[in-house]
Amino acid sequence: MTVTRTDFHKILKVLVEEQVEFIVVGGVCAVLHGAPVTTFDLGLVHARDPENIQRLIKALQRLDARCRATGHRVLRPQTDRLKTGGHQLLLTAAGPLDLLGEIGAGRGFVELLDHAEKCRLGPDLTIRLLKLEMLIRSKEEAAREKDHAVLAILRRTLAEKRKQD
Amino acid sequence: MRASPEEQRDPASPDLPAEQPDFSPEGVDLTLIRWMLSLTPAQRLEVLQSAIASLQRMKHDRHPD
Repeated sequence: MTVTRTDFHKILKVLVEEQVEFIVVGGVCAVLHGAPVTTFDLGLVHARDPENIQRLIKALQRLDARCRATGHRVLRPQTDRLKTGGHQLLLTAAGPLDLLGEIGAGRGFVELLDHAEKCRLGPDLTIRLLKLEMLIRSKEEAAREKDHAVLAILRRTLAEKRKQD
Repeated sequence: MRASPEEQRDPASPDLPAEQPDFSPEGVDLTLIRWMLSLTPAQRLEVLQSAIASLQRMKHDRHPD
């Protein structure tokens, strides 16, 4: 299997350059809020209107994205699946990328927009980040075994953040 | 980038009472959280990517048993 050097910054930059509407969620979102967790993939909730899907497909082509877990077959991301609330787990030239139609209790881009904040990662890179409170809530709603340990860290990060504010 | 929690601890004065606990009751390392919060979001992303790169390097370099 090919090992690609993970570069989340590069993935985000290509998406922003292609004017894709998205919100960063998951482990990278937790890290950007200051939570000391490790993750190997970048999770995004994308807007599912046809125009945004087209921009997303263009960005994914630039990133040479293909579906993970398809063995040696190269399967490209499918427009129809990107329109649904389901998840597309991809591998790009800059590392793993998870495109999530919805998270938690069925929340998509539109529902999450009011729970997102701007985050500047450089002079030419500003992204939308899910607020820590909503990240915690969505993980509580998902109630997966793997989220339990992370939830404790996220709740403590929120508490420490509030102390500093 | 600021020093990590381990580097910030003063080994010469281990008996000094800590102003804040190092761990939460459920075992979360609060020193790591405070360190991460002292960084900018861009630096936090850099920390994560360095950790991944380091793990990938170790996995790649590991000798077979």
